[in-house]
Amino acid sequence: MFLQLFDIIFYFFATVTLISAGIVVFSKNIVRSAFSLVFTFFGIAGLYVLLNADFVAVAQLFVYVGGILVLLLFAVMLTQKISNLQMKITTLHPIIAIILVASLIGVLCGIVRMNDWRIITISEIPQSTAQSIGKALITTHILPFEIISVILLVAIIGAAMLARKSEKKS
Amino acid sequence: MQFTFLNIGILTWLTFLPLVGMLCIFFLPQKKSQLAKWITLGCTTIQLLLATIIYIKFDRTLAGVNSIEGMQFKEIFPWISINSTEWFGKISIQYFLGIDGLSVPMILLTAIISFIAVLASWKIEKSVKGYFSLFLLLNTGMFGVFVALDFFLFFIFWELMLLPMYFLIGVWGGERREYAAVKFFLYTLFGSVLILLVMLALYFSVTVTDAITGEKMHTFNMLAMMNPQNFENNSLLFGLHTYWRYIAFIALFIGFAIKLPLFPFHTWLPDAHVEAPTAISVILAGILLKMGGYGLVRIALPIFPDAAIHYVYPIAFLGFINIVYGALCAMAQKDFKKLIAYSSVSHMGIVVLGIAALNTQGMVGAMLQMFNHGTITAMLFVIVGVLYDRTHTRQISEFGGLMNKMPKYSALVVIAFFASLGLPGLSGFISEAFSFLGAFQTHQWLTIASTSGIVLTAAYMLWTFQRVYLGTLPEKWNSLQDISKRELLMLVPLAIIIIFLGIYPTPMLELMNTSVNALVEMVKVK
Amino acid sequence: MEFFSKADLIGTLPLLVVFGCSLLLLLLDALFKDAKKLVFSVGIIGMLTAIGCSLYTFPLSATAFSDMVLVGGYASFFNILFLTIGIIVFLLSYSYLEKQHYHLKEFYTLIVISISGMMLMASSADLIIIFLGIEIMSVCFYVLAGYKRIKVEGNEAALKYFLLGAFATGFLLYGIALIYGTMGTTNLIRISQNFDAFSHPLYLAGWGLLLIGFSFKIAAVPFHMWAPDVYEGSLTTVTALMSTGGKAAAFSSFILAFSIPLSMHNEKLMMVIAILSAASMLIGNVFGLAQKNIKRMLAYSSIAHAGYMLVGLASGTKLGMDGIIFYLISYSLTNLGAFGIISIFEKENGGNLSYEDYAGLGSRKPILAALLSLCMFSLVGIPPFAGFIGKYYLFASAVQSNLTWLAIIGVMTSLVSTYYYLRIVVYMYFRESQQSELIFVPSLALASVVLVSIGIFIFGIFPSLILNVIQNLL
Repeated sequence: MFLQLFDIIFYFFATVTLISAGIVVFSKNIVRSAFSLVFTFFGIAGLYVLLNADFVAVAQLFVYVGGILVLLLFAVMLTQKISNLQMKITTLHPIIAIILVASLIGVLCGIVRMNDWRIITISEIPQSTAQSIGKALITTHILPFEIISVILLVAIIGAAMLARKSEKKS
Repeated sequence: MQFTFLNIGILTWLTFLPLVGMLCIFFLPQKKSQLAKWITLGCTTIQLLLATIIYIKFDRTLAGVNSIEGMQFKEIFPWISINSTEWFGKISIQYFLGIDGLSVPMILLTAIISFIAVLASWKIEKSVKGYFSLFLLLNTGMFGVFVALDFFLFFIFWELMLLPMYFLIGVWGGERREYAAVKFFLYTLFGSVLILLVMLALYFSVTVTDAITGEKMHTFNMLAMMNPQNFENNSLLFGLHTYWRYIAFIALFIGFAIKLPLFPFHTWLPDAHVEAPTAISVILAGILLKMGGYGLVRIALPIFPDAAIHYVYPIAFLGFINIVYGALCAMAQKDFKKLIAYSSVSHMGIVVLGIAALNTQGMVGAMLQMFNHGTITAMLFVIVGVLYDRTHTRQISEFGGLMNKMPKYSALVVIAFFASLGLPGLSGFISEAFSFLGAFQTHQWLTIASTSGIVLTAAYMLWTFQRVYLGTLPEKWNSLQDISKRELLMLVPLAIIIIFLGIYPTPMLELMNTSVNALVEMVKVK
Repeated sequence: MEFFSKADLIGTLPLLVVFGCSLLLLLLDALFKDAKKLVFSVGIIGMLTAIGCSLYTFPLSATAFSDMVLVGGYASFFNILFLTIGIIVFLLSYSYLEKQHYHLKEFYTLIVISISGMMLMASSADLIIIFLGIEIMSVCFYVLAGYKRIKVEGNEAALKYFLLGAFATGFLLYGIALIYGTMGTTNLIRISQNFDAFSHPLYLAGWGLLLIGFSFKIAAVPFHMWAPDVYEGSLTTVTALMSTGGKAAAFSSFILAFSIPLSMHNEKLMMVIAILSAASMLIGNVFGLAQKNIKRMLAYSSIAHAGYMLVGLASGTKLGMDGIIFYLISYSLTNLGAFGIISIFEKENGGNLSYEDYAGLGSRKPILAALLSLCMFSLVGIPPFAGFIGKYYLFASAVQSNLTWLAIIGVMTSLVSTYYYLRIVVYMYFRESQQSELIFVPSLALASVVLVSIGIFIFGIFPSLILNVIQNLL
């Protein structure tokens, strides 16, 4: 009974994610795309919850839905004349693309079937992941944690460069 | 035998002296760039002296070929040496120089021809410093090829010649120099690439035991590659008469055949010869072509005797095609220089036929033919150069009756032409006769067919002589000057060598006899 | 609780110095109004210090920060290579930027940060560090590629590079996730101890995806599309950095990722690498023939050279790895030389880049022309230049592990490549010049190009100098 309920919830979130992601890609209206992205992120957060990854789920909601997406929506809304813009969504080389994507999906599906998956019992799943992630970030993973700040720094420099007025030739 | 100066062996001096000269030229001030000629002349003169010392001191009883003991004036040092690695064993590439009866004639030839070529370049005006530094670099490469006994070293020298030659043709050449230079480069590089692959395969197949540490290691030593016992079991080239050995031999053969040049890989030669300046044509025909033949007897035959025997008939057949095809093409030429170029193709065919005889007469004939052809064609190219310098044309149809106008010059032309067509009493005859005699024992019908090449050669040579030097002189050439002292200095020594070796070839023969015998024995055993 | 020790800090000293240096440069840029010279010299001093630190850490052999990064040996060796490349790019850029009027701020800072990313990649013992290193380097490159903002090519280069790079990152991450899924760790050393899981399909799929990610970064066919446009659209000195440092860094972590867990004993994966290599050599060299712009030509040549280096990986032997490392050095030196000369010769606003513009350079600027020819011959792989020894090593490794067909393709395609490398030489020496403009040769740039050429020559004649060091690295 429990597992069935679990399955229903899983498929619900999965469908929400996939359909809204499809709209993001195929919609010709940028505002509609931006709004469906909310549902994609939301669905993914739901999947994280189902996987008992509570910290990641919350982070997903905070960072993506709460932060990035809002920023994105502001950007879309504040930019002039963008809401009526028709975007090109045609594919340049459909046949090649279909072959490549199909083979990638085929390989992945094949692996999903071939692999002997390990089944975890409920007792193995930690109750809360936030604490152990926090610990790992300042002990074993302190170097990557610090290095990420460098990436952010570069990203900021890049953004500043884009935003800067083009300098006149001296 | 050892001969050193400042603790450096004579072969190293011989090979790297031009590089010293090149450095001197680099530091010459632009105003004194004419000095470059004298520096180059000095280098080649010293080389000529060194070659003479080698000729005098050379022990004619030692065979060499595949025995280290038989090699003379040896110099062995580790060059690229990387200590034991877990997966690969010790890597060592040696600086291994040495000469035997197969290389001494070539060294003499190179020294003589280089000297002549410097004189032939005397009139170069366009960036003198560049020309002569490239010339010296080329010189190093040529001597290096003839003295190196480590395959890797040999390959480095082989490739080293490519760059200066490319520039010498491309910058100082005639109208279509760009095409000729690139064609030369690509053809030769294709050949070297094949040689490189075979070299790699040989390297991984051959192991020797290090004398000091007792460690097993791969080697590039050519002499070690000639010993079938050194091939590791189950390695690519192990055994005799295997599929891979045949392939390796063919690759090596094509690599050398391009330089030789053998039909159907000969098409770079007429272009390169025609476009190159006189001195460079002299070197091309006099020395570079010989490297192909030298490579065959020094590397291809002793390392793959089984494959050589297996393919001896096709090789002889290619030699036959070269002789006849080259002669026919020569006959059809309107350009004097191109005619000489094709005559080279024809004469190098005799070398191949002689080698394919796989007996002493044939081989000796082939080796001697390489030397003689070197001197004779050098002379022919200088002859064309002399004419071109004065008239700026090479079309045979524009000439006639030069005999009366330039008597001294024409006398030398007669010697060169008759030597080329194999008149008894001149050097060409002896080597051709030896080659055909040797080949007749192994390939009767092919040899008989090939002798038709001699008739054809006589035909085009005499016909050309008649068209250019006999008959009536066109009016525009009324003011032609006879040959200058510098030009005499180039042609007379060559003429003397040609006549001398035609009457008394023994000095040359005894140089190579022991080694050639050893080589033939080696090949026959298989 | 101790999270890290003093030894960790000492071990990663070169990295820390470079990070510190980049922050200092950023501050200097912000504090002083006209800080060009100051930033330039402080950057060079910083990198020289980092080289000194790398020499100091070279004899060490350890890991730091809970097995996250390698210390000493391999890492230090590559650090020195990247820093040297960085210094040379600095020297080339100074006058070049002046000439092109692109003296925007942060240029030098971004170069230093990208080098820190490369250093991370070469010292990573963990897939996460590889990923972060690649990201730092790539983000810097995205920005640097877009420096010609006013120009269409500049924008095209940056956007194309960014989109495809992000795509590649996706593959890389997916691969890392799958590997983590099977192994329960991202640490390469721990992965290598878990032999049971090596045949796991999920694990192999992970490596396959990782391979795709890496192939993007080294521009191997069929993931090479970005290279020509990006190389052409970026500033020449930036292209020099991308094609040398970027490639060397990608290969350094490629070797680490594929040789530490010895997944290279998997024959299928090796075969895939061999095919990628053959395709890169063929397509890179054949397309190289058709180019008219020297920067595009070098882009295709860099694709082909990625193919040559993959030969070493496909062979999966120690000899192959050593060959790649040697090749990276010789290739980096050669390309720095070539791009350096191009940057000296390039006109304001990107003129003088087609083959025709090089006509007669041999008589106009004999030294530049001679050095460029030297670089071209080294790229062809003609002795006695370093390129020959490198190619020789790689093809030897292929023959040794029974991949003779790959060696044959390699040798034949490098024969094809001769044609387009020689074209430049033909134009420089055999054609007459159409232009009579004076070319100004800045002394800093010339000095660095001469230095690089001497390196090509010395490593070509005495390769043991560096090979004896290389072969003790892995």
